[in-house]
Amino acid sequence: MDSAPTAGQAYQATAFTNDYEFSKGGYELPTYPFVAPPELGSKIAMRHPIVIVGAGITGLTMACALARHGVAAVVLDEDNSVGVKGASSRGICYTQKSLEIFQRLGIYDRIAAKGIQWSVGRTFAGNDEVYSFDLRQQSSFQLSAQPPFINIQQFYIEGFLVQRIQELGHVHLRWGSRVTGFTQHDGFATLTVDTPQGSYQIEAEHVVDASGSHTPFHRWCSASMQSRRGDDRWCIADVRFKNLPPTERHTWIEAPFNDNRAVWQHLMADDVWRIDYQMEPDADPALVSSEAEVHKRLRRQFGADVACEIVWVGPYAYRSQCLDALHIGNVFFMGDTAKIVSPFGARGGNTGVADADNLAWKLAAVLRGLAPAALLESYNQERLEAAQQNVQVTNRTARFLRPADGMERVFRTAVISLARQHPFARQFVNTGRMAVANPYSQSANCEGSGGLSVQNVFFRWEDGSPGCVNDLVLWADGRLLLLVFGDQSAQARQRLAELTRHAPVRCVQVLGTDTRRQSLETVRDPQGHLQGACHVFGHAWALVRPDAYLAATGEAVDSALVRAVEHALALA
Amino acid sequence: MKTQLHLQDADSFYEQLLDAHQGLSTEQSELFNARLILLMANQIGDGRLLQECLAAARIAPAPAPA
Repeated sequence: MDSAPTAGQAYQATAFTNDYEFSKGGYELPTYPFVAPPELGSKIAMRHPIVIVGAGITGLTMACALARHGVAAVVLDEDNSVGVKGASSRGICYTQKSLEIFQRLGIYDRIAAKGIQWSVGRTFAGNDEVYSFDLRQQSSFQLSAQPPFINIQQFYIEGFLVQRIQELGHVHLRWGSRVTGFTQHDGFATLTVDTPQGSYQIEAEHVVDASGSHTPFHRWCSASMQSRRGDDRWCIADVRFKNLPPTERHTWIEAPFNDNRAVWQHLMADDVWRIDYQMEPDADPALVSSEAEVHKRLRRQFGADVACEIVWVGPYAYRSQCLDALHIGNVFFMGDTAKIVSPFGARGGNTGVADADNLAWKLAAVLRGLAPAALLESYNQERLEAAQQNVQVTNRTARFLRPADGMERVFRTAVISLARQHPFARQFVNTGRMAVANPYSQSANCEGSGGLSVQNVFFRWEDGSPGCVNDLVLWADGRLLLLVFGDQSAQARQRLAELTRHAPVRCVQVLGTDTRRQSLETVRDPQGHLQGACHVFGHAWALVRPDAYLAATGEAVDSALVRAVEHALALA
Repeated sequence: MKTQLHLQDADSFYEQLLDAHQGLSTEQSELFNARLILLMANQIGDGRLLQECLAAARIAPAPAPA
């Protein structure tokens, strides 16, 4: 078998330097220079296969994933830095699925070295704890090479992605480049780009809009959407403590130190904590987010002698928005241009990362000639379903936290009082449902048995050393990965050989401890973790996509497998 | 959803329900009802059945003309 990156490095303590400096009043973010592109001063617009607009976490994940596939792309970002200047860190909490994606991209060790792991969450009403969880007790999280969550400032991840893209090549990052015009043609689009040295035009066969919630592409593409805006107001404070609170996620539905409104307390790197305070409906944003007010609230929460400095503070009005289609003409929408959710349960940034991981392998497959352009439609099917689900889940949390006056508030009071007495009622207490790898139930490219994420679990190579699912996915190199479990008949082996000869599929036989090796590439799964991650038992096959989602599973190596391969790549 | 009688003693339950509200303010009664609904919903459990109950509760027929 081809060499794959060594596994088992998940918890290895790696010292990575970073370019950030913490200073009073915020972070010094790294800056990247504007470099004049060849188009400047040229009258001819160059045609690029992929242009990504926006170098936030979503756009950079997309760019990094394409670079790993060896696919060329151009990234345009109006700023000259990661993060948002003068703003907070935005996203702070990264899910196991995102961390698995980042491992595949080659930046997981940097994230693990800088970020904070946590597993305990507690929810309080008044002074009573009404609900708690410990993710270490939840077996579903335990088998992956990555932990359930790592908390880290979003700009660190963005900085690691920039470093990684520069290591990999293939992608041109163009800073100080603002897209000011867009025209859609048959088979390509023209973008006008303003730079410090003048403007130029660039052509793109595919445009990926990852430019965030203020995107002009919605207007340019006449995108329709569903929006909801409430009167709930929050003040978000990033605070650096001298005496650290516990390494746990704490949420209050009714915090006595915030006039019985909600409060969130969550940790990040550099001893910085994010404290979110729910404000009075339609509160004056300038007043509630003044530093003096925040210090007053911090003293009420942590005691008069609290030693801390405010890194950043700002007001937020949460809202939700979801496009009706994520693919319009040549433009793909992802991250905050696809949907906006209230930040409950870390369903913003993490789904942007998943959007990028979903589209990157499909675009790469199409551009490398492994699949027809029809495959790209599944991006819309799969990630629109995910976006709609995430909007629904976060809207439910928002409604629990800001119930309408009248019966909605009565029911919440009933829930809180019941939750103190009876375990069942704790399930109604909704301070955010943590993000998951969204399943794809509507996709034409997944069979009924597919559409689920495959955890990055460990197995054994033939020499006994440990490997993980990502190693196999990387080995498959943008093709489908077919895992066949157990002994295979001569006829099945012949069919598999034929399939891998004619379709972009790489096949591995997965054996237990005592099964004899046959002619195929083999790995060992002595504890059945690989089988469990693929949701199959006994003699079976699992067809895994480059984004570590199952296209399908089955038992016999027969025509159903061939059909699953055709569907997964839109070949038929 | 059952529409035929399933209670062992309907009169007795009805009386207990009214008695439970005795002496409560409107606000307390609302909270009592909400708690009761949540407790009962957890006894039923079945999502489709609960949905049918929600739909059935919404439509109160107009009284027949005299």
